[in-house]
Amino acid sequence: MTANPSSSFRATLRQEIPVWLQEGIVTEEAAQRLAARYELNKLSQESSGLLAAVIFTIGGLLLGGGLLSFVAANWEEIPTFAKVAFLLSLLLAFHGVGYWLWHHKNWSRLGHALVFTGSLAFGANIGLMAQIFHVSGEWYGAFGAWALGSLVMAYAARSWITGLLALVNAVIWFLGISHALHSFWMSVVPLLIAALFLPLAWQLRSRVLYAATFVGFTISLCSIAEQQYSSAKYFLMTLVICGFLAWAAGEFHRVKKIRSEFGNPLAGLGIVTLGGIAYIWSFHEWWRTDGWLNRAVAQRPTFYWLLPTGIAVLIGLALIVTMLQEINALPTRRLLAIGITLASGILVVCALLGIMHRGDQILLTLVVNVAALIIAAVAIAIGVMDERRAAFWTGTVFVVVLILSRFLEYETSLLLKSAAFMICGFTMIAAGIAFEKHLRQKEAQL
Amino acid sequence: MNKHTLIFAAAVVLQLAILLGIPAKKVYTRATGREVTLKVVPVDPYDVLKGYYVTLGYEISRPNAILDVQNFAPGAVVYAVVEQQEDGFWTPVALEQELPQDLPSNRVALRGRWNGRRFDYGIEQFSIPESKREVIADDLNKNLNEARVDVKVDANGNAALLRLRIQDRVYE
Repeated sequence: MTANPSSSFRATLRQEIPVWLQEGIVTEEAAQRLAARYELNKLSQESSGLLAAVIFTIGGLLLGGGLLSFVAANWEEIPTFAKVAFLLSLLLAFHGVGYWLWHHKNWSRLGHALVFTGSLAFGANIGLMAQIFHVSGEWYGAFGAWALGSLVMAYAARSWITGLLALVNAVIWFLGISHALHSFWMSVVPLLIAALFLPLAWQLRSRVLYAATFVGFTISLCSIAEQQYSSAKYFLMTLVICGFLAWAAGEFHRVKKIRSEFGNPLAGLGIVTLGGIAYIWSFHEWWRTDGWLNRAVAQRPTFYWLLPTGIAVLIGLALIVTMLQEINALPTRRLLAIGITLASGILVVCALLGIMHRGDQILLTLVVNVAALIIAAVAIAIGVMDERRAAFWTGTVFVVVLILSRFLEYETSLLLKSAAFMICGFTMIAAGIAFEKHLRQKEAQL
Repeated sequence: MNKHTLIFAAAVVLQLAILLGIPAKKVYTRATGREVTLKVVPVDPYDVLKGYYVTLGYEISRPNAILDVQNFAPGAVVYAVVEQQEDGFWTPVALEQELPQDLPSNRVALRGRWNGRRFDYGIEQFSIPESKREVIADDLNKNLNEARVDVKVDANGNAALLRLRIQDRVYE
């Protein structure tokens, strides 16, 4: 069975099975086995459960907001002790009732929603406590405290959304503190974020939290890489490495079939990051040493950030080494691995050359365009070989966007521009027709 | 109690501990400290209203002949010694790098940090309820010379803001 069949597929299957039974396509026994395999009896519970969770959370938020506004209206008249007591009771009420509903009353969704709302109230309470006692401090401290409290709650309540809340807070805290303190320990924090949130996502089987942790890791790492040099090329290099790591990790999940539901979001995230970066950096402006984007100001440059970046590279490469056998077994997999590794390598080398002010700027721009084209070509090739429309069209559109961007970027005559537009349009249509024909031929062969 | 309940309860206790930890130091200072009154002076850059608090500056905030910066690195800990005057206000008389011992009864030391531009004592942000934001900021802008704060200072030099007074108006 596919590791994670979509709800829509299962819903269609549930509608189809009675028809198949009636038409004699499947036997009664086969129908029951299908229903058991795809857990069709849980389908309505799951979909209505998700809607209920959303509604319960919104309800909880409104309730909490209403209570806070009611108190805020009389805030000045309330003695300090009563204010504190009210804030703590509100927190206890959300968590207490949430836990009771979740554990003892079998109202798991509502319970979780209330616990999540409790962690939101916890954040509001941090601000209010500081306000009541006129506590001065850096703004990011509050986010750090909020992240810590909600992370522990996410583990305790096994709640991915509370984990996501903690992750967002942790990244905001890090953006603040890493700009204020330039110390070695700042470079450890991105790794710490990954080490704290990935096991939670793993345990809860949450694709959203797993992918979001990669995004959080990338943002925090890029933040220190960028601010220590004020040069966009360090930022580029780190982003490419994080994109490569996300793709390698996603591929690892897919190939090894370990938590394979994590594979597609991560690999997709990695490829989109690499494609996006290759596109943005395909403009000549980035590579002009005298360009406004490259006024590199080395303010106390340190190499601390290379520690997590280096670890990210090593993990990415190690993941690829562990799946070499499986990658070699499938042509499309091999093509994808070679293409992505090559494009990432080219981008990193170009960034390094740019940092060292080596290499001709026009050549660098050209090579980055080649890296972008490699990514597009891999997508097109996979689309054709595996008969996947989405991959084919994404690659084709990417090529066309790259070509059009170059024509818009450079001053060329209108006539040349119009010719380029027409050729692009014509090629796209021709490629589409060829691809659809190819698909039809394959279908006819079946 | 089963294991799940215990873990959940521990997480709630941690959240409560964080919440109570935020004002703990201020509560201690309020309970054990000595009350002093400081004059409010304009802050530089002049930016009184910032979100949910007003930023206050004092005579002990800006470096001068008494409060000599020397070559402090940002973040350096200092102790500003203030002395009670006949008009009731406490004004700076010395700046130390260690907590002064055996000060006379008309003097106290406030623990602060040099932030590169001025000294911070943790009493610069006066939080105000949203409904009063404009009123207080306006009052402060118009009558800054008559604004003062009451703070408590504990034996370690930590300070906690009690109230802001502008003429006969008291904001807590």
